[in-house]
Amino acid sequence: MIVNNLKLLVGGVQLRDGVVTMTDVLGRIMTRAGLYVLAMERGYASTIYGAHQFDPMRITETPPLSWGDREVDVLIALDYDSNPDAAPQPNRDTVLRHGRELRDGGVLIYDSSTGEIDAGELERRGIKVFPVPARTVARDELKRDVVKNIVMVGALFRVLDFDPAGTYFRTLIEERFLRKGQQTVDINIRAAQRGRELVESILQAKGWTDVGYRLEPRPLREPLLLISGNEALSIGAIKAGCRFYAGYPITPASAILEFMEEHLPKYGGRALQGQNERESIRAAIGAALAGVRSMVGTSGPGLSLKSEEFGVSGMTETPVVIVDTQRAGPSTGMPTKSEQGDLYLSVFGGHSEVPRIVLAPATQEECYTLMMEAHELADKYQCPVFFLTDLNLSEGRKAVPESFFLSQKARIDRSTLVTEEDLRRDGAYRRFAVTPSGISPRLLPGTPGAVFKASGSEHDERGFVSTDPLVRKAQVDKRLRKLQTYLKEDGRPPQVFGKVEGRPVLIGWGSTRPVILEAQQRLQARGIEAAVVHFTHLWPFPTEAAKPLLEQANTVICIEQNFTGQFAEVVQAHCLVPVRRILKYNGVPLYPSEIAEGVEAILRQGVSTVRITDGPVPVKVSEGD
Amino acid sequence: MAETKAQKISAKVWEENAVPRHRIQWCPGCGDFGVLAALKMALTKLEITPYELLIVTGIGCSGQIRNYLNGNGFHGTHGGPLAYALGAKMVNPELKVISMGGDGDTFAIGVENFVHVCRRDPEIMHVVMDNGVYGLTKGQHSPTHGRGMGLEVFSEEAPPPFSPLRLALTAGATFVAQSFSGDPKHAAEIYVQALQHKGFAMVNDFSPCVTYNKFNTYDWYREHVEEIPADHDPSDLNAAWDLLNDFDRRGRLPLGIIYRNPRNKKAFRRAPIWPQELADADVRPLLRLFA
Repeated sequence: MIVNNLKLLVGGVQLRDGVVTMTDVLGRIMTRAGLYVLAMERGYASTIYGAHQFDPMRITETPPLSWGDREVDVLIALDYDSNPDAAPQPNRDTVLRHGRELRDGGVLIYDSSTGEIDAGELERRGIKVFPVPARTVARDELKRDVVKNIVMVGALFRVLDFDPAGTYFRTLIEERFLRKGQQTVDINIRAAQRGRELVESILQAKGWTDVGYRLEPRPLREPLLLISGNEALSIGAIKAGCRFYAGYPITPASAILEFMEEHLPKYGGRALQGQNERESIRAAIGAALAGVRSMVGTSGPGLSLKSEEFGVSGMTETPVVIVDTQRAGPSTGMPTKSEQGDLYLSVFGGHSEVPRIVLAPATQEECYTLMMEAHELADKYQCPVFFLTDLNLSEGRKAVPESFFLSQKARIDRSTLVTEEDLRRDGAYRRFAVTPSGISPRLLPGTPGAVFKASGSEHDERGFVSTDPLVRKAQVDKRLRKLQTYLKEDGRPPQVFGKVEGRPVLIGWGSTRPVILEAQQRLQARGIEAAVVHFTHLWPFPTEAAKPLLEQANTVICIEQNFTGQFAEVVQAHCLVPVRRILKYNGVPLYPSEIAEGVEAILRQGVSTVRITDGPVPVKVSEGD
Repeated sequence: MAETKAQKISAKVWEENAVPRHRIQWCPGCGDFGVLAALKMALTKLEITPYELLIVTGIGCSGQIRNYLNGNGFHGTHGGPLAYALGAKMVNPELKVISMGGDGDTFAIGVENFVHVCRRDPEIMHVVMDNGVYGLTKGQHSPTHGRGMGLEVFSEEAPPPFSPLRLALTAGATFVAQSFSGDPKHAAEIYVQALQHKGFAMVNDFSPCVTYNKFNTYDWYREHVEEIPADHDPSDLNAAWDLLNDFDRRGRLPLGIIYRNPRNKKAFRRAPIWPQELADADVRPLLRLFA
């Protein structure tokens, strides 16, 4: 019997079966029951209705290292009549797609409203199969089609022997639906009850006393929050004093815009849905110009459109935080799949040379803390600060203790702004004064005593356009000198996990840290002691910290979700050590076992690059994603 | 602010913190001089202080205007001034925000911003320094090129000019006017009203390019412009359209306020800026959403 440690996957038809509602209900109940939830490798399609959708969720008693491998313990199939052509298991997209991922001895619960599947093969693998006619029950008995996923929640809870009194479930349903009336609450409760009964009768008929998995509530020391990267970074921005947000709807960044539109006004700020990507970033620059900490969010295609303004922000020294929730592929690529492909655009994008800082959080917690740092850095260095997340991290949800968020302090240092008193004391004001740090005093319009002139054209210290070679050199030196100051005062070395000397070193950046750390453990179990060196502060590259470290390594292997190894190139160029690569770019998240196998291939067979591919899908499944 | 406001705002104030007159890079006789003079007159009349002023400009000859008069100035991308101005005005309604763009800035590369700023209606005055050409890149056609020319000159490569006033009306602007930099006094009167308008005010200013536009010269404009009749009711949208049609039919260009109809708008407060305003941000209610 495995208690409080399983991975489940809910699959169904997008928009119809309520996959997300179900996992949201499950996730919330589990975190309230004191269990850790990690739901990060979500699968959905860029269609509104009809494609296959799935949502895996790891539930554990102690915080999990990562989302783990592809295998699942419990599979819940909400779809009932999709893919009618696929013999020999008609109507079961979720079963067809994810049956292979189901561990031997696992559990399958599926909607049998349109007939039962041929479960022989699954049963031979020791899988316990529960046909639950959820939709029939919902539609015919309860007269409410939409509660079919709640029937499944009840079924699942009985299978896992969780919440027998229904207390957790009742509380959540009342919170959610009481405003829609007592009747709605009652129907949901009855739906869950019917699910329990259906499973109960199967258990009795089969003579099963347990199914091998169980969930038990844990004493709750403090509330756990189930929060996504997008949500965590939005709250981090508000905490950091961001009071203007602009965005143009784009997957997977739209959630930030929606969150900010709803909540920023409560803090005196304003959010703008731009009429296009360019209006968004320009308005954000305008707001920053007026003195407000300001941010935009977008994904790759939007970042391309915004790239013109990288230079405006850098040249006029107007701070702006640019969130890029990376998704797969150039052009419009794969809007609902994850990748780490925009490093080059963030680091090198825009014409000529723009001073900039590039950060990438690894976890939902870091989305919060690093975002506070991003605003602080933008304010201090008066340049664009890029914040690179990706679809997995942005939309993936994780249980984090509330106390973690409450214990983080925001630093709101606005000392680079000149005040009326400063102007009275110092006399002549020069917006782009050449200073040893490269940081010039910033004036907000409306401050009596001086005015600023800022220009995207090359300018002198007062901001007047100039092409004088001496002025040009002094200003370029000044602007780019900020990055040296940053490295000295605020740069962060990579985080090191394990001993580097003489060992293979796994390098990562951004959201892949958890899987790389889990791969490190798997390797250790196989007798390979590897260190992990992980970067959150990507640019300007911390060469002084990284080079001596990596020179001690036996083999340096960079793990990324892209084709070329963008960060590997950066590391190689700055540290002058050969960097081997493990790369995945098929839109599917990285799994620890794949990384471990890749590392072994590199160490044993001496290959320089491993490109990971998932095995072919042997069954015919429905089109549309 | 009160202390500075009390000082007499004289025309001379606008010469401070600006490029000296002899270093102005516009060609001798450029229409933009008239716009600059009119702007100074209007700002002086309204007793606006340079400190509370934010002038955002586009690219090209027109974009340089922010360097030639006092006040805070920002010069970003081609086509961008209205969007920067929108952002600044949204977070600080106390600022007097003026956007100055050329016809390319406003109607070619920046048309996406222009159309939607008309709808959004922020309290910004936008002056188009309309000369029909791209001057700083040496005379290529702009969207308003060919005004008054015979139709036979137009082809796929050089389509006929379009009407800035009609675009503004269609897009929902609440203040639409036209002025001529050859008559700065009249232009200044229009700017005064545009600056007092509670909403987005668009002024299309004919600002002849003496170097590259040999057709739409000062003389040509003087022959074709005509003040709007005193009995025109600018609050009547149908009257505005009728007026434009009437002037077009007669081959004349209207000067004055074509349409003015402010919306009843909610006033916004300045967004928090200073550390003490931001320090007590309590995010606990936001975190509770995820419990």
